[in-house]
Amino acid sequence: MNRRKIGVYVCHCGGNISDYVDVEKVVDAVKGEEDVVVARTAMFTCSDATQQEIYDDIRELGLDGLVVASCSPKLHTFTFRGVAKRAGLNPFQYTQVNVREQCSWAHTDDRQGATEKAVRLVRAGIARTRLLRPLEPTVVETVPKTLVIGAGIAGLRAAIGLADIGLSVVVVEREAEVGGWVKDFGPMYPRDKEGHELVRQLEAKVRQRENIALFTSAEVVRKAGSFGDYVVDIKTHGKSAMTMQIHVGSIIVATGFDTYRPEEGEYGYGIDGVVTLPEYKKMLDAAEGPLAYHGRPVKDVAYIYCVGSRQGDAGPHQYCSRFCCSAAVHSALELYSRDPSARQFHLYRDMRTYGRYELMYRESREKGSTYLKFAEDEPPAVQKGADGRLVVTIRDQLTGQKEVRIPADLVVLVTGMVPRENDGLVGALKLPVGRDGFFNEIHPKLRPVETVVDGVTICGACQFPKNASESVASGLAAVTQSAAMLKQGRAELDPQVASVDPGLCTDCGVCYETCPYDAIRPKEEPEGRRVAVIDPATCKGCGGCAPVCPERAINLEGYTQAEIKAMIEGLAREVV
Amino acid sequence: MAVARPAFIDEVRQSEQFNASACMNCGVCTAICPMGLEHLPREIFRYVVLGMEDEVLKEQETVFSCLLCKLCEENCPAGVHIAENVRSLRHYFDRKAFRI
Ligand SMILES: Cc1cc2nc3c(=O)[nH]c(=O)nc-3n(C[C@H](O)[C@H](O)[C@H](O)COP(=O)(O)OP(=O)(O)OC[C@H]3O[C@@H](n4cnc5c(N)ncnc54)[C@H](O)[C@@H]3O)c2cc1C
Ligand code: SF4
Ligand code: SF4
Ligand code: SF4
Ligand code: SF4
Repeated sequence: MNRRKIGVYVCHCGGNISDYVDVEKVVDAVKGEEDVVVARTAMFTCSDATQQEIYDDIRELGLDGLVVASCSPKLHTFTFRGVAKRAGLNPFQYTQVNVREQCSWAHTDDRQGATEKAVRLVRAGIARTRLLRPLEPTVVETVPKTLVIGAGIAGLRAAIGLADIGLSVVVVEREAEVGGWVKDFGPMYPRDKEGHELVRQLEAKVRQRENIALFTSAEVVRKAGSFGDYVVDIKTHGKSAMTMQIHVGSIIVATGFDTYRPEEGEYGYGIDGVVTLPEYKKMLDAAEGPLAYHGRPVKDVAYIYCVGSRQGDAGPHQYCSRFCCSAAVHSALELYSRDPSARQFHLYRDMRTYGRYELMYRESREKGSTYLKFAEDEPPAVQKGADGRLVVTIRDQLTGQKEVRIPADLVVLVTGMVPRENDGLVGALKLPVGRDGFFNEIHPKLRPVETVVDGVTICGACQFPKNASESVASGLAAVTQSAAMLKQGRAELDPQVASVDPGLCTDCGVCYETCPYDAIRPKEEPEGRRVAVIDPATCKGCGGCAPVCPERAINLEGYTQAEIKAMIEGLAREVV
Repeated sequence: MAVARPAFIDEVRQSEQFNASACMNCGVCTAICPMGLEHLPREIFRYVVLGMEDEVLKEQETVFSCLLCKLCEENCPAGVHIAENVRSLRHYFDRKAFRI
């Protein structure tokens, strides 16, 4: 093997590392390793000064391998890849060794042990680096077209945004009509704009645009290919049932939410006159004057908040649904506008009419709404009274914990948002689902609409409970993200992917099942053999397939069988 | 157990100015009251909006001890028309307790 020239930099991290790891000793121990031509310590390796030092070493000493022993690769991989690249070294010929989290922070009680462990880890990093090959990212041409799944308010607005940037759009909606929940609503907060009117305007704009193709009663059944060129099968139902295949560069998921359905008996649900918030909203929107329910006038209304949300340890919905305090208060105002003499009681856990929605809360109190707080462990009870009216019992904290019975003509359960059933789509797109059942972004602050699947973004209430304006805002964020990717015309994919050695593969089939991204498929070879092939554009480099192959036919670039073996030898030298 | 009678508030309300339900129970009025009235205005208003008539009737002394000085009203962060509300309550007692 040709000799390599490797530089090793061991970091003090101020004292974060050097307080518990003797970094000078680590350098002494590894500077004699084969192919190491320079080894030094640095106070802060990530500082501009040390980056410059590494840069100079790479250029002056002609380094073809770089080892940085500092913090977690999650923090600075891209920093040092950048240094390598600027200095003319292939960024994939660099290894990050984590001696902070794995040594100094983990072994504050054992300085000598922490130092020895750091020596072994750095040796392993050097051993790997000796074998690293230069890699170039795979470049794919992107198709300037985006698929939007779900035509609620978020998906419709996103489609218009994409079209106006100059991208082609395909919208797929499962229902026969577009608009999601909002299409059925009358006045919505804030400002009382009618929901069905909003949807009508959006739909008209969608239909005006020639670069948007809208399919209703349609679903995505399969996705293949990779970011930049996804191949998607769409199936439509009903009269014009058919299946078609389209190519798109990116995908926006806007499949929305479902509403919580209380169990029989939960806060009296099932008793005549106990309704959910969506049911109540429908009655209100349809009413012209005072409300009536089953022919009886409705004068006294009691609302019970947080039904199906904030369930604590008791249920799967531990989050706050965010929209419902405001939606319930807004409904109360809507009732006052129909019937100013209605009497309304709000039984709540905490009022979360955040931001400007606070003004609706104040207005409702000024118009006569009474608010009573209950504790999670002492919820109000709903019963049918002797006179046939409903009675809600609650302990009122503001009158010295007096138990109060409130008669009501209607009890509204302020039900929250729950994830919509979408197993088929989750399976087809490999969408990441969080513990609460909503779809997950990569980073809640900095990458709020991207998912771990390249080119697939999420927006609207399929991600977590959002009101209409928040849903639209995230829809437009997804537009920006999609356009930023597709407008470049090309995309670079990480080259650290797996591949199969066709000479060793026996088509045993174990790896096909293992890959969580469906990147491995069988392929016929000319001489009638069948072998496994990994699509480099689909592979995420997770490494899951490599160890399961009984023939060791799979190598993950950057973590090949040989590199891993060399690392183990570097780690365990004196032991084995 | 107290039984709320939602319609009660309509018997107390004398004018459009009556806005006991706007109170958010911060307690500023109680702290500032020169007469040191403990139950007025906030607790009695609560009884009114909840329709707890028996509790209101027990507070006759308090309702008539108020000076209507409006010190509380000046300082109320929720814009409650405290003096006007107390007047409404006095009318209610006039009718209900004194039958005048
Ligand atoms: C009773 C009630 C009152 C409300 N009042 C207000 C208010 O006054 N103001 C306000 O701002 N917000 C209000 N909201 C919240 C508002 O409804 C939501 O913020 C909004 O609907 C979210 O929009 P969305 O597009 O993300 O989801 P959705 O409205 O749920 O739309 C999602 C769409 O995706 C489709 N879909 C789902 N799965 C698939 C699939 N696999 N393939 C294809 N299509 C699919 C669905 O059919 C649907 O059309 C209220 C909600 C409720 C329940
Ligand atoms: S928004 Fe209000 S009603 Fe809805 S879950 Fe949160 S606190 Fe409860
Ligand atoms: S490395 Fe992971 S993503 Fe790539 S083919 Fe293997 S199992 Fe699939
Ligand atoms: S596990 Fe290995 S031998 Fe089996 S099909 Fe996959 S690559 Fe071929
Ligand atoms: S100061 Fe106003 S808001 Fe505060 S308790 Fe008194 S009446 Fe209510």
